[in-house]
Amino acid sequence: MAAPHPTGLFDQKVVVGIADMAVSNNQAVTLATYSLGSCIGVTIYDPVAKVGGLLHVMLPESSIDPDKAQRQPAMFMDTGIPAMFRAAYELKAEKYRVQICVVGGAQVMDSSGFFSIGKRNYQTLCAIMEKHDLKITAEQVGGMVSRSVYLNLATGEVRLKVSGQSEEVVLCRN
Amino acid sequence: MQELDDYINKVKHLPPAPRVLPQLLPLLNQADVDCSKVVDVITYDQSLTAAVIQTCNSAYFAGRSPVDDIQEAITRLGFREVYQIVLAVSGSRVLGPEQKGYGIGEGELWKHSVCSSVAAQIIAEDKGDDTSVVFTAALMHDVGKLVLAGALEEIYAKVIEETEANQQSLLESEKKLLGVQHAEIGGRLLARWKFPANLVSAVWFHHTPSAASPYERLASYVYLGNMIAHFLGYGFGHQAFALRGRSDALEILGLTSDDLPRYMIKTVDRFDEVQKLFGVLAEK
Repeated sequence: MAAPHPTGLFDQKVVVGIADMAVSNNQAVTLATYSLGSCIGVTIYDPVAKVGGLLHVMLPESSIDPDKAQRQPAMFMDTGIPAMFRAAYELKAEKYRVQICVVGGAQVMDSSGFFSIGKRNYQTLCAIMEKHDLKITAEQVGGMVSRSVYLNLATGEVRLKVSGQSEEVVLCRN
Repeated sequence: MQELDDYINKVKHLPPAPRVLPQLLPLLNQADVDCSKVVDVITYDQSLTAAVIQTCNSAYFAGRSPVDDIQEAITRLGFREVYQIVLAVSGSRVLGPEQKGYGIGEGELWKHSVCSSVAAQIIAEDKGDDTSVVFTAALMHDVGKLVLAGALEEIYAKVIEETEANQQSLLESEKKLLGVQHAEIGGRLLARWKFPANLVSAVWFHHTPSAASPYERLASYVYLGNMIAHFLGYGFGHQAFALRGRSDALEILGLTSDDLPRYMIKTVDRFDEVQKLFGVLAEK
């Protein structure tokens, strides 16, 4: 059963650190993650079950450190995405209702391709989405800025803030 | 050189020079450090002395009974630990404040600098180089931004526009619009503060490490540390990612781009611990 929603009194922010994730159906909660550089923040939200998750992925593939992936699956895209979806399914989220937002993946000026971690994170995410027949609802990816992202679990609204700018902007509304 | 000095002289609100650091740096290479010499240098700055003792007594270091003078702190913790504390205290004073012209909030430049240092130190450890010098150089690499932030405040919209429209790095936009850029200003500032030549050079060329000869290895560590800090989200402000990816830093250190993810993982793991010591502000 979903947690009751006491009218705004107990609203709280749950901060997801780097290489970490959180999934919840507590509507008093806003999930937040700060400072996505080349890292990618992925939010999912099922508007019917009112279940949402936020993942802060650092690297594309777990094959470089399988032990780490075992202990901390959210560090890598290929282990983090399945882990977040599994946790959301346990709270009765349905795959085809889930809205997916993607933020981050900043990229330095690099024609050599030696420093393209942000780009590779995004490419790996897209490959996983395609494989599982999932579609991204909204995204703000790439560019030369660091971003923070917030998912309101009562409304499913996703907001983001760009470093150096004072205003938050809405990325996706239900 | 004159142009850089003129620029630095124009700035009204520069932080006081971290005078103790350049005096302690040469001692790092000595096998047997004369404790009284270190005490003399540190006690020269009373508020620094107080802060060092306070840090020694923090939960991170505290032993059975509290330390009450520098002499005892060095005996108990060792010179290298005390050096790290001095670095943390004096570095955060200089790099802590908000830098509006860059869109960098309070504590953000400090956080960026500490993360760069941790990453650079991890790579240097792996390569068997002196990590204290690498850590110090990486910590100070953006000190030139303090000088330029004031001037940029009035023209930052133009800098962003230049950067976006012409695909220029932030450094190139600074040079074009102000005639100077933060890396060379930072190098010059450290020279005026009497930091040793290797640190001056590493900071001066932290965006172009192969030009730092004979200190190109040190500059390369700083370059990669800065890069990793950006990747991990500790690159703040307007167009923070407008910096050029250069493979020469990798070549100089005998690394490939496949090594970077490994160093990123280690940096994240260690940064947590170092944050406690270096008093990086927690996220609000």
